Amino acid sequence: MIVAGCDVGSLTSKAVIMRDGRILNSALIKSKAKPWESADEVMKSALEGAGVSMKEIVFCVGTGYGRDKMKFINEAVTEIACHGKGARWLLPTAMMVIDIGGQDCKAMRLDRDGRVVKFMTNDKCASGTGRFLEVMARVLGVSLEELGEMSARAQAPITLASACTVWAQADVIAHLNNRVPIEDIAAGVNNAMASRMAVLANSVGVERDVCMTGGVAKNDGVVSTLEKLLGVRIKRIRRYDPQMAGAIGAALFAHEKAGGGLR
Amino acid sequence: MMEDFREVARVLNNRFVQKWKDEGKKVVGYTCSYVPDEIFYAAGILPYRVRGFGAGAMTIGDTYFGPFICSLPKCMLQLAGQGDFDFLDGAIITPGCDSMRRLDECWRKMHDDTKEHMPGFFFHFGVPHKYTEYSVKWFVDETRRLIRAAESHFNVAIKNEKLLEAIKVHNVTRELMNRFDEIRTRKDPPVAGADSLAIVLAGTAMPRDDYNRLLGDLVEEIGKSAKKLNGRKRLMLLGSANDDVDLVKIIEGERALVVADNLCFGSRFYSDLVSEEGDPVEELAKRSLAHNDCPRMYGEYRERLKKIKEKVATAGVDGVILQNIRFCDLHGSENGLFERDLEKEGIPCMRLEREYGPIVESGRMRMRIDAFLERLG
Repeated sequence: MIVAGCDVGSLTSKAVIMRDGRILNSALIKSKAKPWESADEVMKSALEGAGVSMKEIVFCVGTGYGRDKMKFINEAVTEIACHGKGARWLLPTAMMVIDIGGQDCKAMRLDRDGRVVKFMTNDKCASGTGRFLEVMARVLGVSLEELGEMSARAQAPITLASACTVWAQADVIAHLNNRVPIEDIAAGVNNAMASRMAVLANSVGVERDVCMTGGVAKNDGVVSTLEKLLGVRIKRIRRYDPQMAGAIGAALFAHEKAGGGLR
Repeated sequence: MMEDFREVARVLNNRFVQKWKDEGKKVVGYTCSYVPDEIFYAAGILPYRVRGFGAGAMTIGDTYFGPFICSLPKCMLQLAGQGDFDFLDGAIITPGCDSMRRLDECWRKMHDDTKEHMPGFFFHFGVPHKYTEYSVKWFVDETRRLIRAAESHFNVAIKNEKLLEAIKVHNVTRELMNRFDEIRTRKDPPVAGADSLAIVLAGTAMPRDDYNRLLGDLVEEIGKSAKKLNGRKRLMLLGSANDDVDLVKIIEGERALVVADNLCFGSRFYSDLVSEEGDPVEELAKRSLAHNDCPRMYGEYRERLKKIKEKVATAGVDGVILQNIRFCDLHGSENGLFERDLEKEGIPCMRLEREYGPIVESGRMRMRIDAFLERLG
């Protein structure tokens, strides 16, 4: 039985094609202004890579901000539930999930069955989200991957005075003008990001094992600082790309809803 | 009839108010459910609950209040400064909370600066934070001070007989609302939470005799209604003041019903009758102050928790939404306690922080509520 999950987020859109609980293929694209166009394109890409046609998809679940706008889905499920589901598949011992997406971040606690029992999302501004890192990487003239790696080489990380993305950007520019080593600035950016996330995680209550999903899970600088701040080790995900967690969760829901049993 | 309530809930200077004014009668606004509006009914004046609904830009509100404060009084001041409350002949500000107390200062300062938009009668009405023998005595004196000020300004006499008559009329409202509450919390209620809020809001913004007549007819009609809103998750809404029907609509969506609340523009409007025996001023003061639903009252948390747990049980509530306006100290703090204590009893809760004013985060809010409904199963 072939099912699909499609996650249209604010920055990226993801799709996963699954056969009997195993991932056949996945795709990731930059989101477009219209969520249904993002959904169509990312699904097309995922289907082509899997060598599967849309007609063969028995059930498809949509998630993310564009979930209600997708034309081809059978059902929409929130990204909270999908990330919880996907995280448990990626890390079967996960009891807590920290997801940092493009424009929001979430902390959630799972029960033994992988259901979300408590969650919180950022609800004040975009700082502490992927967009924050994207803006800072652009100012520093490095890629997101380089930004993450720089923390390890920092000697004296700067402290960003403000949590506001716009003001933090001004701080970063001031540090660059003062010839502060770029690694120290990058580490300060990653630390600021981790601090914002730690507040959210502590509000929900930290519980082992902690799993991190979303694109920022690939930023080792943020993950290491977050580990220090929370006092727990965050298990690194090897099974699949953590950025795909929402789409994987959606595909797992599709599998269940199509009668494929619990995964 | 429901259309009348929906219209009054959305229009500040609604047609009932306009008709009242066209008849040459006065309107006095007030900001808090701790003001005994019977006093103004007894004076032949329309008591009108001041709201912040409809404020868009916050140019005036932000100027006088600054950014880090509850947006409800800011929206009220914004509307006042725009002239939306120019139909008021008086305004009473209470220290319901510290942000609301500041509305008194900010409104006065705005008037100092602009020389506009200040009702002729502007009164700061103190309300103690405790229900004790001495605080009731103080509050009775304060209520008499308000009566004397209103009598003097509007050249009216507010006699005990008139007050007693007003108490009886307002008790009729409370009894009708309690009947409505019974209908609203039925297993398959005929009315959604958004309309329930509109019904309450209308009671704060139209002449009481008209309201009682319409409410009586409505209760009669929907009591017999065959309409059933079933198959939805039943929610209770707690927390900061909300007078926006659209917020409840977003919360309800297609899958939920708000069947109960403990809100300022909600059940607090009609809970507790005023005794029709004894001195009417004392009875009014006692009812207002004994009204422990608001976290502004000290030492009443356990009673409030008990009341909410009882309501959750009688209304068959599946989950509780604890919402608060950003920077709301009272509800922001209390919601944390409610969440801890209700979850301990197995009652699922979700906290929702929001801005008062135009709903601009509906997508994010919807996602969080959907996730909560998924948790409820």
